Amino acid sequence: MHETSVAQRMVDTAIEVADQNGGGRVVGMSLLLGEMTCVEPDTLRFAFGVVSRGTRVEGCPLEIVRVPTRLRCRACGAERGGDLLELCACGMPGGEVLAGRELRLATIDIDEEAARPAGDQG
Amino acid sequence: MSKEIEVARDVLQDNSQNAEANRRRFCREGVYVVNLMSGPGAGKTTLLESTAEALGQRLRMAVITGDIATTRDADRIGRHGVPTVQINTGGACHIEAHQIARAADDLKAGKLDLLIIENVGNLVCPAEFDLGEHDKVMMLSCTEGHDKPGKYPLMFKESRALILNKMDLQPHTNFDVQAALADARAINPTIEVIKMSAWKGEGLQAWFDWLLARIAATRRA
Repeated sequence: MHETSVAQRMVDTAIEVADQNGGGRVVGMSLLLGEMTCVEPDTLRFAFGVVSRGTRVEGCPLEIVRVPTRLRCRACGAERGGDLLELCACGMPGGEVLAGRELRLATIDIDEEAARPAGDQG
Repeated sequence: MSKEIEVARDVLQDNSQNAEANRRRFCREGVYVVNLMSGPGAGKTTLLESTAEALGQRLRMAVITGDIATTRDADRIGRHGVPTVQINTGGACHIEAHQIARAADDLKAGKLDLLIIENVGNLVCPAEFDLGEHDKVMMLSCTEGHDKPGKYPLMFKESRALILNKMDLQPHTNFDVQAALADARAINPTIEVIKMSAWKGEGLQAWFDWLLARIAATRRA
């Protein structure tokens, strides 16, 4: 269940970036999640809801953008989608992973007008 | 009014930075570090007991072992005279790089030749957390089924070597060695394969030789 560690880092990063931009509540977040990355979206959403509770990220809608796998064939250099066990047109499996391993916080939205709740450390 | 701010930051960036710091340190200190991964019950601890027994006198060796709870693995390996630190992850399914830094301090890693990290038994999560090791090694036992490399490709993709364990049991199972290796090599064409029965003590010399060769190669680099 490493989704909890991932969610905690998302909340921490969002608060840090919000603070660098004048503070306020975090009211939106967009995450790039590669199809090969071993993070389960529903589990992540659940963990995100739990760890954001009581912070300025609480209630923030989480957009998860899945990034499809892109492979480059080691034999012929052709690029393709699919997974590692699917064969390239030239008959070769596997390949160099060009995309699909993302676990990246793309953007956050901050509400500049909402006052920071008293005593909120998060 | 809300405004959108571009973050563009890897969520596990802190772990990657800690792992890079570990890697620089291990290279500077001249200790070869291997991250041994598998599902639970594949035989990692049994292999490390034999490894400690065989190499513990010849080289300066230590083990970091990760489990959700108990110090049973550290107790088992430590009995063979090799310094061992247990990391209890408290429910987490993997070890993180900052935990390795702390354990390496405890073990005085700079005075070692070989440091083996026994990761938490899990086929999914450890793949996402770089620890700063030189090599990842995957262990798969015959009783787990030959379909595992294809079903959990990431950890096999990132490993330098694959240990096939419990080969003594293979005749009693439907484990298809060729099928397992075909998938593993499709995912990772350069993966080196070592077959053994850690419990019976068969095939262990190839593993010891592999470790000694990797220690030597890392020193030359």
